[in-house]
Amino acid sequence: MIKKIVYFTALMLVTALMPMHLSIHKASAAWTAPDQEDAKKRAKEVVPFIKEYKDEHKTARKISLMDAGVSINDVKDVYFLLDSPIIKEREDHYEPVRFAHKRHAALTKDCSKCHHLRPKDEKELETTRCSACHQDSFNSEHPERIGLKAAYHQQCIECHRTEAKGPVDCKGCHLQNVPDHKNLVKLPDNADVFQVTAECLRCHDAQANDMLTTAHWLWRGPSPYTTGHRKDIMHGKGTTALNNY
Amino acid sequence: MDCLVCHDTTGKYKKDPPAAGMPEKDVDLKLVAENVGHSSRATCGACHFNGGGGDAIKHADMSRQLLEPDRNCDVHMGGYDFSCTECHKTRNHKISGRSSSVPVAEGEVTCQQCHSEEPHYCGSLLDHHLNKHAKTLDCNVCHSPVFAKCKATKTWWDWSKAGDKNRKPKKDKYGQPDYDWKKGEFKWEESAVPSYAWDSGYMNRVLIGDKVNINAAVINLTEPVGSIKDPASKITPFKIMKGVQAVDTDNNYIIVPHLFPRDKEDKTAYWKNLDWEKAFEDGMKSVGLAYSGAYRWKETWMYWRLEHEVMPADMALSCVQCHDSLKGEKTCNRCHQDNRDVDFKNIAHKGTDFSFMKSQGRDVEHLIEKTDYINFKALGYKGDPIIHGGRFKKLPMGYKDQ
Repeated sequence: MIKKIVYFTALMLVTALMPMHLSIHKASAAWTAPDQEDAKKRAKEVVPFIKEYKDEHKTARKISLMDAGVSINDVKDVYFLLDSPIIKEREDHYEPVRFAHKRHAALTKDCSKCHHLRPKDEKELETTRCSACHQDSFNSEHPERIGLKAAYHQQCIECHRTEAKGPVDCKGCHLQNVPDHKNLVKLPDNADVFQVTAECLRCHDAQANDMLTTAHWLWRGPSPYTTGHRKDIMHGKGTTALNNY
Repeated sequence: MDCLVCHDTTGKYKKDPPAAGMPEKDVDLKLVAENVGHSSRATCGACHFNGGGGDAIKHADMSRQLLEPDRNCDVHMGGYDFSCTECHKTRNHKISGRSSSVPVAEGEVTCQQCHSEEPHYCGSLLDHHLNKHAKTLDCNVCHSPVFAKCKATKTWWDWSKAGDKNRKPKKDKYGQPDYDWKKGEFKWEESAVPSYAWDSGYMNRVLIGDKVNINAAVINLTEPVGSIKDPASKITPFKIMKGVQAVDTDNNYIIVPHLFPRDKEDKTAYWKNLDWEKAFEDGMKSVGLAYSGAYRWKETWMYWRLEHEVMPADMALSCVQCHDSLKGEKTCNRCHQDNRDVDFKNIAHKGTDFSFMKSQGRDVEHLIEKTDYINFKALGYKGDPIIHGGRFKKLPMGYKDQ
């Protein structure tokens, strides 16, 4: 049976791919996602550095914000992309972080959790963005002030740990940039498919071994949500799945 | 192993259909390899948008539209430029996600993983009620009220009609053909109202060789498991792929035909020889099962859960589109003993206006002013739960059943 199923897997793979002309689309330059585009523009902004802050302790700050009537209804920017040039100037290893600002305001129900201090100048806004006070690290004029990267990480990770909610690992928040492979890939012109795969595996052997155990390779796998087959691992499109199309 | 098919960023990588997985000869593989990157909607979509043999055929909520989607068609991908793996998180190349069409799952993806169990978070009167709804309704009941929003999908596929090379396909109002001699007769739907069913996340499936009831009016190849009595089950929107296919009437199982010719000598493939008997015998042989020689064409259904193409929040279903009882109300006093200064009409009518979708060219004119949208009676309610009571609670509202 299994032998036949393996044969059938190959058959299915071939027939499944046959009818379509598989090609990968290249996005046109004209298309943009509007919310993301706004967030990107905002992420690029660098605001003037706030040198002096009003030194309130936690409780005083919380009460100040409440007295000022600041609430979730004041949140104008629902969504941010954290991708500041302040950090990127020094290092650039990760892709931007998506930050649901209003959602976090609703979850914490306490703006002072992040907006923990305010500018000393009363004319300034009650709440300012992180990067107004936290900019470059190691600012010798403000040695007590942590940089923007540290501020983000300290704030996010500490709160996620305390609340036992939200990611605390690197890739939970942002993808790692893929290094430029132009100088890494060593292939002759007119390389064939087997040379390409061998070249990928020269560095990514572990990933290739991972791949061999996946449903995208095997066309079968665990079926924990299928009645009567919750403990099985051999069902899938390449083995037993039926359809009517 | 083909790394490039998932990691190409150039858009220049193409497969050659007759070459069984090999790329086209003129692809500059060195260039593609030098520009590898993360997977994208384009790489995942190269296969998944084409499920069923072409764009938008199989999936009601995925098509090539998602390469550069309109914000109104999919807020995540069109508004925020999400890639597939931002939700379908991967680890060690295993990609999370439950499928309704096939049994395999390597982890699950839910809306709640980002949006929480209380997704409406602004603390308004409406949010309070919506969060209560979120315990009974899947998010997409309201947030994706029609499927195949931006591109028509196939909803009917009758294999029994295949084989007539003289029949000329007619195009429907979406420009889609009603016939293909290889595949049979089709129907297509765009911006269609889903079928709603109770779903717990588990599926019943008919797998190859499973016995089926050949006397049933319809055989469900997949169907959700759920009940109005189960607090964990939610009302969930589905596209039902309906079709007609062959069943072995002596062995009582679904027949898998051999369609695509293996080579020039192939004498059994349906698409070459147009002989179902031979195609059935060969197809069943390749899955290790006997074909009795007796078959019947049967209607089969597959339930496909609708997950993608979530619309912007202001295009979600309004209260009155399901609850007819709220239509004439001016205050909250049907349920609450107060008469606060609330703009009730604004709350109850807030949500999608199908007339806006219509103005965007969608086929939704018949949905404007529609009420009882999800069909309460079909889901096991006596009628509008505001009048007749919910599944666990019957509030003393001071109204007798009408």
